[in-house]
Amino acid sequence: MKKLSYALAAIVVLLAPLAARAHHSAALFDLTVRDNKVTGIVKKFEPRNPHTDIILEVTDAKGTRDITFEGHSRNNFYRSGWREGKVKVGDKITLIAAPRKDGGDGGYVVGVVCADGSQF
Amino acid sequence: MLHCIRAISTVLCAAGLTVASFAASAARPDFTGVWGTYRAPGQPPPVFGPQNRGNLPLRPEAKAKVDAYRALITPTGDTPGGWCLGGGMPSSMLGSGPYPMEIIQRDDVILIIYEAHTETRHVYLQQRAKEEDLFPDRNGYSVGRWEGDTLIIETTNLKEAVDQSQFPHSAAAKIVEEYTMQTNADGSKVLTAQMTLTDPDFYTETVRAEKKWSYLPGVRLLPYECNEATWEERLQQLRQQSQAKPH
Repeated sequence: MKKLSYALAAIVVLLAPLAARAHHSAALFDLTVRDNKVTGIVKKFEPRNPHTDIILEVTDAKGTRDITFEGHSRNNFYRSGWREGKVKVGDKITLIAAPRKDGGDGGYVVGVVCADGSQF
Repeated sequence: MLHCIRAISTVLCAAGLTVASFAASAARPDFTGVWGTYRAPGQPPPVFGPQNRGNLPLRPEAKAKVDAYRALITPTGDTPGGWCLGGGMPSSMLGSGPYPMEIIQRDDVILIIYEAHTETRHVYLQQRAKEEDLFPDRNGYSVGRWEGDTLIIETTNLKEAVDQSQFPHSAAAKIVEEYTMQTNADGSKVLTAQMTLTDPDFYTETVRAEKKWSYLPGVRLLPYECNEATWEERLQQLRQQSQAKPH
């Protein structure tokens, strides 16, 4: 039993960084939907390659919760107008995001309407 | 006197070769610069969607490998790029454009840098490595030559890659690209590559593709750091382990 526990612990340790690193292709999202908008308060906005990490606190009919989004890469957002400091934690923003094909929370962010109304 | 004539002949001959070489170099098209997604004159930018993989003439054993790979990654949408791994040839070339590529052209070597994952290809036009010094790589080993205004690049020493987005291949694959440049009436420049991939281990016949790029004056390639999050998570893990240790 102890050996099994060690083995399980080892698996958890091995999987932990993998789970954190997972990025997905846009294939999981319905990119034909171009007008899906989600508004909320920024809890995390980290433009990165290959995909940007975003967590938005959203309040809708389902209640208030944190939703994690993936989005275009930092390079893509840079070329469309994002600059360092343009989106800050606590800002109220709107994401333009292709929804998940499985209908779950989240999506693939292709555009952002910032707190000041500017867009990239 | 004879020595003198020989010396003069040698100097003239060397000078002639230099002039000829310079003239040939000057006559070649210069692909140097940053190139991005091709946009036909007067047309909107293309909309990118899932790759059309078509019916590739794969051998049954190769098709089984490719099908198994795609069945594995399709449910989660995993890709090499999602794990910060460059596409390798020919994906690195065929997929460039949305992330631009930069070409730096010299007489002895041409550098092709793809912004995504900063994949870099060295195309050797003069000195080539010995066969025994080469090893397989996702982008292979490329040698080039000029035939008139066409740059021909042959790439071998590739790794088997079932994870290619369009053209999976074996380690026996040989890719030939023929690059030509056109200048439109409005002065804009278009680079075209005709690619053939020959791979007797994977395909029953040669497969082909065409790729075009538009010249992007004033555009710079951006850095493409991709593993920052992984490194930060590792540091956090080490900090937690360090704090958990009894002092």
